[in-house]
Amino acid sequence: MWGAVIAVAAIIVLSLAGMPVFAQAYRAPRAADGHPDLNGIWQAVNTANWDIQDHSAEAGPMWELGAIGAIPPGQGVVEGNDIPYLPAAAAKKKQNFTNRRTQDPEAKCYMPGIPRANYMPYPFQIIQSPQGILFVYEYASSNRFVNMGKPIEAGSDTWMGTNNGHWEGETLVIDVTGLNGLAWFDRSGNFASDKLHVVERFTRVDPYHLNYEATIEDPSVFSKPWKISMPLYRHAEKNAQLLDFKCVEFAEELLYGQFKKK
Amino acid sequence: MSYRFLALPIAAIALVSVATAQAPPSPSKTQGKSWTAPKTPWGDPDIQGIWPGNMGVPMQRNKNLGDRTSLNDEEYKQRVAQAQRAAAADNEERAPKDARVGIGPPSYWTERGKPTRQASLVIDPPDGRIPPLTPEAEKFRKEFRGGRGVPAEWAGQADSYEDLNLYYRCISRGVVGSIIPVVYNNGNQILQAPGYVVIRNEMIHEARVIPLDNRPHVSAGIHEYMGDSRGHWEGNTLVIETTNFTDKTSIGSNGVGYNGEGGRHSDALKVIERLTRVDDNTLTYQATIDDPKTWTKPWTMLIELKRDNNYQFLEYACHEGNYAMKDILAGARAEEAAKPK
Repeated sequence: MWGAVIAVAAIIVLSLAGMPVFAQAYRAPRAADGHPDLNGIWQAVNTANWDIQDHSAEAGPMWELGAIGAIPPGQGVVEGNDIPYLPAAAAKKKQNFTNRRTQDPEAKCYMPGIPRANYMPYPFQIIQSPQGILFVYEYASSNRFVNMGKPIEAGSDTWMGTNNGHWEGETLVIDVTGLNGLAWFDRSGNFASDKLHVVERFTRVDPYHLNYEATIEDPSVFSKPWKISMPLYRHAEKNAQLLDFKCVEFAEELLYGQFKKK
Repeated sequence: MSYRFLALPIAAIALVSVATAQAPPSPSKTQGKSWTAPKTPWGDPDIQGIWPGNMGVPMQRNKNLGDRTSLNDEEYKQRVAQAQRAAAADNEERAPKDARVGIGPPSYWTERGKPTRQASLVIDPPDGRIPPLTPEAEKFRKEFRGGRGVPAEWAGQADSYEDLNLYYRCISRGVVGSIIPVVYNNGNQILQAPGYVVIRNEMIHEARVIPLDNRPHVSAGIHEYMGDSRGHWEGNTLVIETTNFTDKTSIGSNGVGYNGEGGRHSDALKVIERLTRVDDNTLTYQATIDDPKTWTKPWTMLIELKRDNNYQFLEYACHEGNYAMKDILAGARAEEAAKPK
């Protein structure tokens, strides 16, 4: 974690209040709306989707896969590494971990939710249009439209949430509410409830990196808000594009195999 | 872009907005009005907005209409009356006693839209009928799944999830099936950024990102449910060419076929779409289906979309809530178990 912070600190100057303030060193190209241009195909290069906290290499839940199914080691993306679970929630997280092979929504090809969508091992594309900002995720064809106009209230709860965005200088801030709390944070069973409120901050720090931060708040699961942060990397391949990853067909046997005619 | 096709929707739209009994303004009069297509800040024609589908035009033309692309007053009156009856039935609080048990949502979800005079979605061939299948496609459809054919509508039999079509499985409705209007969740949103157009479909939740930079298609080694799309502007018309399809999807409503037919295409399919904003609130969508392995000649559909930026695009968590799949399969097994041995 601190490694990541130090790396980013080369560009970020922390103000006295602890809020990141960006030095004049990098000014992102502008989009048509005059704001920083976030258009591009981005992807996290870390192991947060396995476990957002610090973790050593370990065997995965399926020995049949050999080393292919092993969990790569990684330094976490949680600030301070601890997630302030309330006692009952800590027990639930452990239970999730035990049942992760079949209960992780990723195994079922369910929508990834926020923030997980941003650090799954699949690229996503930001389309910064004059009518709002669309995040298109390769995983499960999931996507979310960020309303940049007058904030709208969440209707019914959803996997990808109600997304209201605004600019704070160089930073795109997205306030995500109306999440159904069914998505997990990672393959280790970290989770939240339908009281989850996520505030995300996307800031371009150089031509090829986007700094991503998210504040996680859920009073029914956590004793206080906590934060994750990581760089996102721009795909530099000339022919980079999203492809189909319609994973339903890879999850059907797991979900419905027991109901097939024997 | 053939203007022969354009004249039709303009005439039809003008009609819907006036009282049904009045004579329609002639197409030429409507076309004569000067309307300047808006541009994006970077100079592309601006087709952004929410363009929900409007149900009510059959895919293929009734044979007795021949080459007529538009209904006459009497036929149109019948279509309106039919739509009113359907809407009334949708709003019935209770299903009639003899109604079949279905797996669909409650009928008050339905969005039947406004009837128009368009005779059929298929506009080419001129008789509005899908061209005959090639012999190899006919053979394929007959012999698929040991003679059971391509999965179309669920008919009570399901040994496996693979006996249900891709729509029941919440996988995809394909490129064209995602636009063909259906009974609910018809939202289509178009967004643009420099070098890209995105067509987002509410149902299933698709977001097709279309590059406009003339890059070549991905190699023949890659096949996708939604294909590989490349776009360019011809005047104010966005032309999208899509290739690299799988052979698992179908052409037709919800990507599952038409008139009870599986509608399956092959991986040789090429779809050419033409999107033209003909006035502030009207977008014509044309799709030419060219699959020489399946149909004996290419055919074209025309779908007219009306802008509605107040349309509420909802999250269509289809697979996540696919209780129907579990229930269909578990129900079939329970039925088998109950049968006397």
